[in-house]
Amino acid sequence: MSSHHRRILVIDDEPQIHRFLGPALEANGFEVISAATGAEGLAAIAMRPPDAVVLDLGLPDMDGQDVLVKAREIYPGPIVILSARDREAEKIKALDNDADDYVEKPFGVGELLARLRAALRNRIIRSGATPVVRVGDIQIDLVKRLVTRAGEFVKLSPREYALLSELVLGGGKVMTHSHLLKAVWGDDQSEEVQYLRVFVGHLRQKLEADPSQPRIILTVPAVGYRFMTDGAAG
Amino acid sequence: MATFEDPRRPDPDALLARTRAEGRGELRVFLGMAPGVGKTYEMLSSAARRREEGADVVVGVVETHGRRETEALTEGLETLARQPIEHRGRMLLEFDLDAALVRRPGLLLVDEYAHSNAPGSRHPKRWQDVEELLAAGIDVWTTLNVQHLESLVDVVWRITGVRVRETVPDSALSRADEIEVIDLTPDELRKRLAEGKVYVPETARLAADRFFKPENLTALREMALRRAAQTVDDKLVGQMRAQGIEGPWAAGERILVLVGGEPFAGALVRAGKRLSDLMMDAPWTVLHVERPNRPPHPDAVRQTASALKLAEQLGGGGVTLSADDLPSTVLQYARRNNVTQIVIGRASRTHGMRDKMRILFGRSLTHTLVEQTRGAALHVVTDTLSDEGAIQPEPTATAQRRVDWVSYAAALGLVTLAGLVATAADRYMANANLAMIFLASVLVSGAAFGFGPGLLAAALAAVSYNFFFLEPRLSFRIGHAADLITFAVFFAVAMTTGLLTGRVRDQARQSSRRASIVASLLAASRRLSAVSTREEAAQALAEQASGAAAAAAVVLLPEAAEIRPAAASPNAADLSTAAMTAARWAWEKGEPAGAGTGTLPQIEWTFWPLQGLRARSGVAGISAKRGAMDAGEERLLLALLDQGAVALERAELASATVEAETLRRSDQLRAALLNSISHDLRTPLSTVLGSATTLLDYGATLGPEVYRDLLESIREDAHRLNRYVGDLLDMTRLEGGGLNPHAEWTDVRDVLAAAIERVERRLGGRRLARDFPAELSLVKTDAGLLEQAVVNVLENAIAYSSDDTDIEVASYEDRGNVVVSIEDEGKGIPPDELARVFDKFRRLEEPSDRGKGIGLGLSISKGFVEAVGGRIAAASPIHGDAATGFRGTRVLISLPKHVPTHYELL
Repeated sequence: MSSHHRRILVIDDEPQIHRFLGPALEANGFEVISAATGAEGLAAIAMRPPDAVVLDLGLPDMDGQDVLVKAREIYPGPIVILSARDREAEKIKALDNDADDYVEKPFGVGELLARLRAALRNRIIRSGATPVVRVGDIQIDLVKRLVTRAGEFVKLSPREYALLSELVLGGGKVMTHSHLLKAVWGDDQSEEVQYLRVFVGHLRQKLEADPSQPRIILTVPAVGYRFMTDGAAG
Repeated sequence: MATFEDPRRPDPDALLARTRAEGRGELRVFLGMAPGVGKTYEMLSSAARRREEGADVVVGVVETHGRRETEALTEGLETLARQPIEHRGRMLLEFDLDAALVRRPGLLLVDEYAHSNAPGSRHPKRWQDVEELLAAGIDVWTTLNVQHLESLVDVVWRITGVRVRETVPDSALSRADEIEVIDLTPDELRKRLAEGKVYVPETARLAADRFFKPENLTALREMALRRAAQTVDDKLVGQMRAQGIEGPWAAGERILVLVGGEPFAGALVRAGKRLSDLMMDAPWTVLHVERPNRPPHPDAVRQTASALKLAEQLGGGGVTLSADDLPSTVLQYARRNNVTQIVIGRASRTHGMRDKMRILFGRSLTHTLVEQTRGAALHVVTDTLSDEGAIQPEPTATAQRRVDWVSYAAALGLVTLAGLVATAADRYMANANLAMIFLASVLVSGAAFGFGPGLLAAALAAVSYNFFFLEPRLSFRIGHAADLITFAVFFAVAMTTGLLTGRVRDQARQSSRRASIVASLLAASRRLSAVSTREEAAQALAEQASGAAAAAAVVLLPEAAEIRPAAASPNAADLSTAAMTAARWAWEKGEPAGAGTGTLPQIEWTFWPLQGLRARSGVAGISAKRGAMDAGEERLLLALLDQGAVALERAELASATVEAETLRRSDQLRAALLNSISHDLRTPLSTVLGSATTLLDYGATLGPEVYRDLLESIREDAHRLNRYVGDLLDMTRLEGGGLNPHAEWTDVRDVLAAAIERVERRLGGRRLARDFPAELSLVKTDAGLLEQAVVNVLENAIAYSSDDTDIEVASYEDRGNVVVSIEDEGKGIPPDELARVFDKFRRLEEPSDRGKGIGLGLSISKGFVEAVGGRIAAASPIHGDAATGFRGTRVLISLPKHVPTHYELL
C-alpha cells in the first residue's frame, strides 16, 4: 500500500483551503488533486478514481449533496465531507447519501487526516474483505454469524445481531438512525428511534466493558451511531 | 342512525336558550293585581327567610311608602345607598345600578319593576337595570302590578279608564324564572284601602277611587292570575321542547299585523301580540307598506315608526315594504311567509276625503283583503278606543300637511295660458282641435308638478273648454249632441292624462330619490374601499355618514380595551362624558345607544355599533340634531355604517398583514445573518486554523516557500475576518442607531483619495482611473463615514469584475450637489436585482458570488451615505450592447453642496 502514493481529491471552491490542505496532505505522503467546482471534481473522479475524496458541501456551481450522489454512482471509495454548516440535517443527509464521514469547518488538519485514514481503512471492512472483525476482546465472525467475548460465546437475539452486523459493516462510519431502522426493522419504522436506543442498550450490556461509558458503539448525538473498530479509534 | 330519525330530539333552539340562561342571575317577580296587595311586604319577608338561611341578601331599592310593618322588615337587611340625580332642580333618589354591580350580592331586591328612572340614568327603565344585573349573574327579586304589562295597557285602559304610563315589555316578565302571584280578593283589598293601608298619592285620589272599583279589581285579578299561569305554561312548553317531549305546541301559526298611519297603530300591534300569546307565542310580524306616490302624512310616519318600535319591544318583527299595489303586496307577503292570521285596523269613522273615496270606489284595503285572502284568518280591529273619551287624549296633530300651493297655482296658470292661446287660435281652428291645447296644459301640469296639480289642471281644462269654446259659449250647457261626446271624450282624456303623467312624475321622483341613495352608497363604498388604514377608514366613514344623515358624525375605535374618538366630521362637537358612556355601552353590548334608543336617550347623540364580518370594529355616532329620518334615509345610513364596519375590518386585516410581512422580513434577515456568520466567518477561520495546524504539525517537513505561503494565507484571512467583523459592527451601529455623524467641511477629493488608497492592495490586475475636477465645492459631511461608504462600493466593484478591467472613480458638481461616480466593467446587475442591490445580505442568494464579502457592503454604504445627508443609486448595465453582452455598473453618491457661511468658515 505504501508502495505508491495514495491519491486524495479535494473538491473546494476556497483557494485558501487548497493552500494549506495541499502541503499538509503531501507531508503525510498523499498525492493531492484539487478541484474548485463540483463539475470539475466529478470529472476528476470519472477520469481516474482517487483513493479518497474530500468534498466541501458549499460549492459555487452545484449543491454539494448532488455532487455526493453523482459521485456515488461511479465511485465506491471513501468520501469525507467538509462543511461550514453545522446543521444536523445537512450532516444526516450527507451520511444517508453514503458519505463516509464529515468534518466541520473550521477544523485542524490533524482531525481531517485522522478521519481520512479511518475512512480508507474501514472501506476494506465494508468491502467484505475481512469476514472477522475484532474490537478488543470482542470478535465478530460475519460469515458464521458468531459473536464471542474473550472467547466466550455471546448470545444475541436475531434483531440484536442484525443491528450489530449493520453497525460493523458500516466500518467506523456514522450510521444514521433512519438507515439503521430501515436496515433492521424495515421501511415503515424509520421514525421509531426509541427502538434503536433500547437495542443499542442491549448490545452495550453484552459487549461493552463499561456500558455506561461505551467505547465500541458510540452515540453521535441527534445523528446516529458509530461502531469503533480498532483501527478507527486511531 | 336512529337518532337521525327520532322526532323527539331535543329542540336545539330551546336547549340553546337554556344554556344561555345558565350563568345568568335568576329573576323572581312578585306579581300583583293592584297596588296595596302586599307585594313588597311578601318580597321582604321571603328575603328575610332567605337571609336566615345564610343567603347574601341586599336591598337595592324598596319603596315602603311609609308603611311601618314593611319598613320593619327592611331593618335586618343590608341596603344600598340611593344615587341622587338632579332633575329640573329636584333631587331624585334613584337605585344605584353601579353600586349594585360592584357589591355583587347573591340576591338583590329591586322593588317596582315598571319604574321609570330619572332622566340622566343609564337606562330609562328599571327593568333594563334588572336585565343588566341578571346578565351580570346576580339573582334579582322584583315586584310588578299586572296593569304595567305593555300588551295589557289597552285592556287596562278599557277596563279601568286609566292610561298606564310606566310599562314593562311582556318579554321582561317572560324572562322571570319564577313568578309569585300575591293574591287578595277584591273585597279584602278594598277593605285595606278603606283602612288606609294602601299608599295612594293625594293627587291620584280621584283616579284611584275609579281604579279600585270591585269589577275592575276582579278583572285585574283575573289578568294577573292568567298571566302568571301563562308564563308557567310557557316555561313548561320550553322545558318539554328542550327535553324532546312531544307536546301540543303551536302548529305553525304566523301572525301578520298591518299598520298604516292609523292613530291606533299601537293598539293594532298590541292586538297582534295578544293573539300571539293566545297561540303559544306564534311568531308575529308588523308590516308597513310605503306607497311611493303617496307621500304619507308626517303624523302617520310618526305613528308607523312608533308602532314598529313597539312591535320590537313586544318581541315581534317589523318589516317595511315599498310598493304601489297595497293589497297584492300584503297578500304576496302573507303567502310567502305562511301567514295564518292577519290583523288589520279599520277606522270606525272615515276621517279623510281619501278614505271616503276609497270606500266609495270599493277599493278599501280591508274589503280587498276580505275578498282575496286565502288560507288565513283576518282580524279587523276598529279604533273604538279613540272614540271613547280618553283620559289624556293624544296631542292633536298640529303639523299641517304642507300643501304645495305653488304647484297648484302653476297648474292653474298653465290652464289659463292654454285658454288664452286657444282664444287666439279660435278663429283658425276647429273646436275639437282647441281641446288639444288644453290637453297640452294638462300634460305639462301633470308631468311637472305631479298627481294633484295634474288632476286639478284636467278638471279646470275640461270646465274651461266647455265654458268658453263649446256652443253655446260662456255657458256650461252643451248645445249639440256631438259636442257632448266631444266634451265627454275630452274630460276622460284630460283626467286620464293628468292622472297618468302625475303618477309617472311621482314615480320618477321616487326612483330618482332611490337612485340618489344608491349613488351616495356607491360613492361611499368607493371612498371606503380606497382607504388603507383604520384611521383613514374612520375618517371616510365619519364624513360619509355625516353627509348621509345631514348631521355631525363621529367614529370611535377601540384602543387598548377602551374606545376613543378616532375621526369626526368637521361639524362635530366634542363628546360629553354622558355621550362617551353611551358610546361605550354601544361598543360593549353591540346595541344602539343614545337618542332614540332605550339606553341613555337623553343625550344628543345616537351610537351604533359597527359590526364587521368577524367582530365589532368600532362605534359610529350621529348627532341627534339631524331631526327625524325617514325609513329610506335610515336604511341608507345603516347600510353605510355596515360598509364602514367592513372597511375598518379590512384595514385592520391589512395592517396585520403588513406587520406579519415585516416580521417575516426580519426573520429572513435574522436567518441571513446566521447564515452569514456561520459561513463567512468560518471560512477564513478554517484557513487560519487549518494553516496554523499544518504549520505546527508538519512545519519541519515543509519547504520554506510553502511555509511562508501558509503564514501569508493566515494573515490574509485574518484581515478578511477583520473586515467582516467590521461590516457586521457597522451594520449593528446603523441598525441600532449608534451612528453619530460629525459633519465638517470636507473636500470629497481627499475622501476619495483615502478610500482608493485603502483598496489599492486588492486591485489585482484591475486598472483604477481617477477623474477629479480642479475645483470642487466643499460639502458638510462626516468624512469617515463617507470614506467607508466609498470603500465598500469600491470593494464591491473589485469583487464583481475580473482582472484586466477598468474601474473609474470620478467626482463632479451637478445641480447643487457634489457627485461621486464609481464605474466598473464587471458583469453588471440584472434589472430586477437593481432595486435590491442595497438590501442586506443580498449576495447570499447567489451561490456563485460567494467569497466576495458578506453582502453587507452596499447596504452599509447606503446607510452611511444617508446618515451624512446624501443619496446613493446604482445603474447597470452601462457598457456594451445586445450583441456583445451588457456589462458594467455605476454607483452614484450625491451629497448636497453647502455654500459655507461666514461663521462656518471662521
